[in-house]
Amino acid sequence: MNPLTEYYQNMTRRQLLKNCATGLGAATLANLLPGSANAANESGSAHLPGKAKNVIYLFQNGGPTHVDMFDYKPELIKMHNKVVPESYVKGKRFSTMSKNAAQAKMLAPLEPFKQYGKCGAWVSDLMPYTGAIADKLCFIKSMHTEQVNHAPAISFMLTGSEIPGRPSLGAWLSYGLGSMNENLPSYVVMTSVSKGTTCGQIFYDFYWSSGFLPSKYQGVKFRGGGDPVLYLSNPKGVSKEIRKDMMDGLSKLNNIKKDAVGDPEISTRISQYEMAYRMQTSVPELTDLSNEPEHVLDMYGPQVKERGTFAYNCLMARRLIERGTRSVQVMHAGWDQHRSLTTELYTQCKDTDQPAAALVKDLEQRGLLDETLVVNGGEFGRTPFLQGDFNNRKTWGRDHHPYAYTTWLAGGGVKPGITYGASDDLGMNAVEKPVHVHDLQATIMNQMGVDHTKLTYFFQGRHFRLTDVHGHVVKDIIA
Amino acid sequence: MIRLMVTSSTYRQSSIFTKEKLAADPYNRYLARGPRYRMPSWMIRDQALFSSGLLNKEMGGPGVLPYQPEGIWADMSFGKIRYKQDTGNKLYRRSIYTIWRRIVSPTMFFDVAKRNVCEVKDKLTNTPLHALVTMNDISYVEAGRALAVRVSNEKGHKTKINKMYAFILGRSATLQEMAVLKNSLQNFTAKYKANPKLAKDYLNVGEFKAPDFLDKVEVAALANLALLILNLDESLTKE
Repeated sequence: MNPLTEYYQNMTRRQLLKNCATGLGAATLANLLPGSANAANESGSAHLPGKAKNVIYLFQNGGPTHVDMFDYKPELIKMHNKVVPESYVKGKRFSTMSKNAAQAKMLAPLEPFKQYGKCGAWVSDLMPYTGAIADKLCFIKSMHTEQVNHAPAISFMLTGSEIPGRPSLGAWLSYGLGSMNENLPSYVVMTSVSKGTTCGQIFYDFYWSSGFLPSKYQGVKFRGGGDPVLYLSNPKGVSKEIRKDMMDGLSKLNNIKKDAVGDPEISTRISQYEMAYRMQTSVPELTDLSNEPEHVLDMYGPQVKERGTFAYNCLMARRLIERGTRSVQVMHAGWDQHRSLTTELYTQCKDTDQPAAALVKDLEQRGLLDETLVVNGGEFGRTPFLQGDFNNRKTWGRDHHPYAYTTWLAGGGVKPGITYGASDDLGMNAVEKPVHVHDLQATIMNQMGVDHTKLTYFFQGRHFRLTDVHGHVVKDIIA
Repeated sequence: MIRLMVTSSTYRQSSIFTKEKLAADPYNRYLARGPRYRMPSWMIRDQALFSSGLLNKEMGGPGVLPYQPEGIWADMSFGKIRYKQDTGNKLYRRSIYTIWRRIVSPTMFFDVAKRNVCEVKDKLTNTPLHALVTMNDISYVEAGRALAVRVSNEKGHKTKINKMYAFILGRSATLQEMAVLKNSLQNFTAKYKANPKLAKDYLNVGEFKAPDFLDKVEVAALANLALLILNLDESLTKE
């Protein structure tokens, strides 16, 4: 690490305040102050009056097929089994599996689409629960990215760079806005995968990395088995009372040391230990579902009580933001249907459709949707043309497709019941009001009250930001 | 050159922050005081192994798989790869011999590079998650018990405590500290006396066994005190 950066990080609050004219920008100052969310807004040139306080990113890992779920294209149905017109794919790069896509055959969506709600959004029969809340959603159908393989594309979406090592969206937000609950992490990540999936994409921890930001901003992964947070439980044979005695003794001895040595870092250590102890209570309280009413649990579907499922993670996301966690990243793998569209897509939709919709409804019923931005989408879409043998339905699949895909947003000051942008008549290329990955990132940050061009961090000789030197806030979707 | 540096009076000076030194050189830019920072996690583990007498000093040879919570490797690989923990002497080798998977570092090394980007040194952060490791990981609980056994021949609590202090911190406790330590030990003892099963459970964390002839309540209470000492700021810090 840059010694200068490290020196800033190791500054105490008092030192910082004394020197802040020459020191850090408003964003980091906010971070070191208690109740920093307000402080950030008050102090900040870097900050906008944000509508949202929290963001829940339902990250559909693997490249969900936009043409089968949300991007309805009657023309694609007509073109079924016909060769892809050259003009659509000419000069485009696909994955090594499809290469230049010449002679590939078009594949109609697997299931019929219906129009839903007042907004009349077309949604596939694969996603009936999402369809039912279409009036609360903003579909962006002109998403596009630059990456064609999973890890780089996911990294690009979540950290702004295809190369691992940059801070992720949640880390930037924790860094810029601070924590709202000292007893829980401000950035939590949960992962799940559908049973029986053949997908091979693992969840790399650089998807929730703090990159060059201090590691306290890194996403804390809640695990699907064992302790939700690593090492949370006391060892066997240590009761709550015994641990309390230990904390008391520890704190007294550390205070004696502090008085003798005068190192302010000892005060930090004392408070970090106290926080660890409080976390040992607050996390079990968080994961205790016994007070959730039956009708709420039902809404999330049959898997809601099963740890490590998307449904459980969605409910936990709501419970986390209720308690002040700023960013929750719920990742679900298994969307990579190269040869399993006719089987695994159904499982994926079943496992994610109901919980995602339930989360939006649940937030709304609790009056939390205005201040919580829900984002649902993946790293890219899937090809409107077929991968596999047309005569063998069981092998049908679609390849990675970065040129057009769909992401939906809900709440957090985003207009409900609208569709923004469009792909062409075959769902191949984003043609109308294209939204680049950096544009979506800029928009999410904007809704969180952060100007994406101003939240920067000096590292390796230059200022870095989530959107690099790109990104435009998609103003038309803001309520 | 390194010898010159580490034997210099600048390097060897005390790391105490006096008011005058803090005012004159708040960030230690001019090296007004000696360095004082938290040791990297691998070193903290080595220290616990060494002070407890558990350390296996063997050098070289294949890597080892010490204690780690269940499911870490399986989680990262959709169940395809499982962690098969070593047993016996292999559990106590120096941290440097611990096997890493490229995508997930050993969990007790909470501050190590993520191996996604080049990092030249460990980060000196200070978070509650670190505290959970050194209070709850089997390695530390077991080291605490080994320390309790290591001092079990000494007569009287004061001597035992001072001996543990000497093993971990290289000094005796001050009068003020001794009062706190004795009080904690009394509290632990009372609780384990009231619930001997708890003491038995505590003695079963990790492979190292306390000899049967020792009083279980006494060992459990002392082991908790040793864990407390291992978690002191002074124990975690290089001064």
